[in-house]
Amino acid sequence: MDRAFRALIERTFGDVLTGPVRQRHDETEMRIRPGDVPQVMRTLHDDPRLRFEYLGDLAGVDTGTDFQVVYHLWSVVTPDWLRVVADGIPRDQPRIPSITFLWKGAEWMEREAYDMFGLVFEGNRDLRRIYLPDDFVSFPLRKDFHLPDDASRSPGGGVRPMEDAPTPADAAATTVRRTATAR
Amino acid sequence: MTTPTRPSLDDPSLTIPLEHAGIFEPIPLARTERQREFYDLRDGEMLLNMGPQHPSTHGVLRVVLKISGEQVVDLDPVLGYLHRGVEKIAENSDFHQIISHLDPLEYVASLFCEWSPVMSFEKLLDIQVPRRAEYIRVLTGELNRIASHMLFIGWYALDLGGITPILWSFAERDEIVEMLAAITGAKLLFNYFRIGGVNGDLNHDFMSRLGDWMSRAGAQLEAGMGLLNENEIFVRRARGLGILDRETALRMCATGPNLRASGVPFDIRRAHPYSVYPELEFEIPTRREGDSLARYLLRMDEVRQSLRIIDQCLHQMPDGPVMARLPRLLRPRPGRAYSAVEGPRGQYSCYAMSDGTDQPFRLRIHDPSFLHLQLVGLLMPGNLIADTMAIMASLDPVMGGVDK
Repeated sequence: MDRAFRALIERTFGDVLTGPVRQRHDETEMRIRPGDVPQVMRTLHDDPRLRFEYLGDLAGVDTGTDFQVVYHLWSVVTPDWLRVVADGIPRDQPRIPSITFLWKGAEWMEREAYDMFGLVFEGNRDLRRIYLPDDFVSFPLRKDFHLPDDASRSPGGGVRPMEDAPTPADAAATTVRRTATAR
Repeated sequence: MTTPTRPSLDDPSLTIPLEHAGIFEPIPLARTERQREFYDLRDGEMLLNMGPQHPSTHGVLRVVLKISGEQVVDLDPVLGYLHRGVEKIAENSDFHQIISHLDPLEYVASLFCEWSPVMSFEKLLDIQVPRRAEYIRVLTGELNRIASHMLFIGWYALDLGGITPILWSFAERDEIVEMLAAITGAKLLFNYFRIGGVNGDLNHDFMSRLGDWMSRAGAQLEAGMGLLNENEIFVRRARGLGILDRETALRMCATGPNLRASGVPFDIRRAHPYSVYPELEFEIPTRREGDSLARYLLRMDEVRQSLRIIDQCLHQMPDGPVMARLPRLLRPRPGRAYSAVEGPRGQYSCYAMSDGTDQPFRLRIHDPSFLHLQLVGLLMPGNLIADTMAIMASLDPVMGGVDK
């Protein structure tokens, strides 16, 4: 845990942060609003005190109530992984700015997050399904998409056809048994 | 006797009208900006489909090439033929079960795609792994790295038209997988790492095989490399092909040998040390050229470093248990953990979220092959059709990892 780095992050981003900067093992975590992603990433990438040139991972997360996009970054200035959590993306408007203007390589990772969660990355010029066929209608990593044999967790307590999960347009806050206490 | 008439390709009864073509629709509906650009054919351009059962796509991959004469103008990889939804399966299985689902992701070097999730579960659970187990992980991991690079060499030469190297490199690879089979019980999908350690201690069979092999591995590998390194046909074919510069490599999130061949000395074993790598001495080979030949030679350099690491592991291996004492049912506290390891293809990483139950709330698996395949679209334009596979193979993607 790099305490000095935590202070640096708090000093640099101050009011952009939506929660405390947390540290555990070799990870430092900061939380921001989805709209601030381009500005924060630009600062992390370009600021000579930060120099986060390397994007380790981009992951979508469904917390059961809303979505998150989680970025992991690496820099020479700290021995920690930096985790940037863009928190609170609403289910009915799952939109977040793309970071392909900084890391072109994020394009496919964003496509994957779109494919699995239906997250719309604004600015990604190739946002279409990557694994599943184009005519697939639902988003399988959402928590309200139940596997057909996962009877115990489905809202009806029984088998639910795979294609019944709601599409993003009509995706309301449906019953989700397993909500995140891990938020 | 009537002479059989040869059917003409112009025969209208042989053409399938487009409205009946269904899923074989040659030009899909353009949904995105990039797709519109790709499927907008200029004069003299045509589309050529390659795969999904093409022998040199290293798995089940389909590539749509836009060609102009013999030159590739653009290409669009179509993925998903091997997609198994491992992340969803993982959300519905408990922490121990997941490991066996992870193996087939990266079937060439499966220890590495076990390693990073296991490490992140250990972080979630705050487990200290016994030092002997860490050494065994490094030892088997480096063996697996050599085996994977051996497959790369053989396969790369095969893609460029040489048969002999694959026979040589498979002799070495076979020796290594036999060795690993002696401790893990399997030759390909090892399922060996456990949360808190490894499945079994080193045994006599493994040690005697390893000792035998190590005594001659150095010379044997050099001989095998000499077969290609000094082969003029191979070198002239691979040199200057698919040049990836430093900035582009970073922008495209390339990792591993492909990034280091472009002059960035980024290796997670040193950049973000894990396991017992800080205690071991090795170098991070880098090259500046960034072409296919550099990527090939860099993997050769890595094999030499791996041999060094194995040697040190054998000398420094401590005694002790190989598993931490753990309850049967693992219920980590709610939290998040991220861990990354340096595999033969680059960074394998895993982001695990726990909500306090015995199953992960979310398990994100990041595979380097996925991002390296994305690079192909950038490196290909302007090259010949025959170079598609030469460039793709030099990036060494494994489709099991790409498709998850």
